Amino acid sequence: MTHSDLDSVRRPIATAHGLPNAHYTDPAVFAEERDALLAAEWAGLGVAADVPEPGDARPIDFLGMPLLLLRDRAGVVRVFHNICRHRGMILVDAPRRIEGALRCPYHSWCYSTEGRLVSTPHVGGPGQNTATGIDRDTLGLIEVRSHIWMGVVWSNLSGDAAPFVEHHADLLARWGEFDHPLHHGGADSCFVLDVACNWKLAVENYCESYHLPWVHPGLNTYSRLEDHYHIEATDRYSGQGTHVYRQLTGPEDQRFADFDGLSPKWDTAAEYIAAYPNVLLGVHRDHAFAIVLTPKGPGHTQEQIHLFYPEADTDADLRARNTAQWKDVFKEDIFVVEGMQRGRHAPAFDGGRFSAAMDGPTHMFHAWVAARMQHHRAQAEAAE
Amino acid sequence: MKTLEAALLAAHDAGDRHALVTLYQQAAETVSGAERAFFLTQAHVFAMELAHPAAEALRAQLVEMGREEPL
Repeated sequence: MTHSDLDSVRRPIATAHGLPNAHYTDPAVFAEERDALLAAEWAGLGVAADVPEPGDARPIDFLGMPLLLLRDRAGVVRVFHNICRHRGMILVDAPRRIEGALRCPYHSWCYSTEGRLVSTPHVGGPGQNTATGIDRDTLGLIEVRSHIWMGVVWSNLSGDAAPFVEHHADLLARWGEFDHPLHHGGADSCFVLDVACNWKLAVENYCESYHLPWVHPGLNTYSRLEDHYHIEATDRYSGQGTHVYRQLTGPEDQRFADFDGLSPKWDTAAEYIAAYPNVLLGVHRDHAFAIVLTPKGPGHTQEQIHLFYPEADTDADLRARNTAQWKDVFKEDIFVVEGMQRGRHAPAFDGGRFSAAMDGPTHMFHAWVAARMQHHRAQAEAAE
Repeated sequence: MKTLEAALLAAHDAGDRHALVTLYQQAAETVSGAERAFFLTQAHVFAMELAHPAAEALRAQLVEMGREEPL
């Protein structure tokens, strides 16, 4: 792997190559990307609806890091490292409700749901629960920066990214009309797809509309290729939009309610954006969805799909149909992302080329990956 | 005390934390000094975990004994 490989990715789209195979197959590059692309940015971990009630706790394995999603007593969703400050024991190993304090199962050090260390039993000897040197104010759970937007729990593991609302100011403004409470559709509005591909291939495929007529012919019957437009915001997000979104209707013309206050554009528009690094979002007049990509290895990704509505109370049959419809669409993509993953084991593959007319959003993502990786490697070299 | 010990072991085996709060408080009543603080601590931890109504009073006792800090 040389920097010139990545220089070719960053060239103008007409002459650029895609990322080299190693970015999809090499465990060492996967580890580099974990730091450079996922930990250093605002990555999606899950959704706030994963912990719907105060005290709800859900362990998350993100890139091998044990994290804990926890809704505190006041209702604030927080992300912690899922470890006790005493001996590093995993605190929560399955989703559950924390009724009072979070007690470590090893020596029973206890934490409030806000992460404060509130008890250190017998730490000074039997029955003596304080000790010199054990300063509870400095030994709370280690919290990770997080932010909730579009129902997604975004987290900056490195702790040094710009604040979320600053980092994604452009996207928040673009979709400002959807800045309303989102209601998760519940158990029938989420599903998981385990896909044998690198997480970036899921992003790349989601970004572009070029594949729609071939991979999603059902969509193409009403939403043709020429009805789509590119969405490109350098270093932040890219995707596609359509001018001909058609609402799902029930047998008696039932429809989901619209988000309040949308401008006429959204009567027929819908947009699908990959917010770098790993969250795929879609908005429509009557629902939204989020796909959180959890990288499990160079060639394995878990896709968590969640659907949201403007109102808490929605028609169950219509909701189930909407989930099924999107599930069919996303499953149609599996053979291509898995096929591209297998293709990355061909030594002769040079990263491929892009259609300057159709692949702009995908190339923008590649160029972002290449730039971030070059920056990361330069920093690592400077530190040596 | 043997009956209490058996009850405590049974409560631990069953994961019955409500019973543990009660039983450890009972154990504390049978002893004094450090041993009493030990049992009160056990009761207090399980009470905190459960948001049990006895948690506050148990902590207050331990604080009074110089064994714990106020919240």
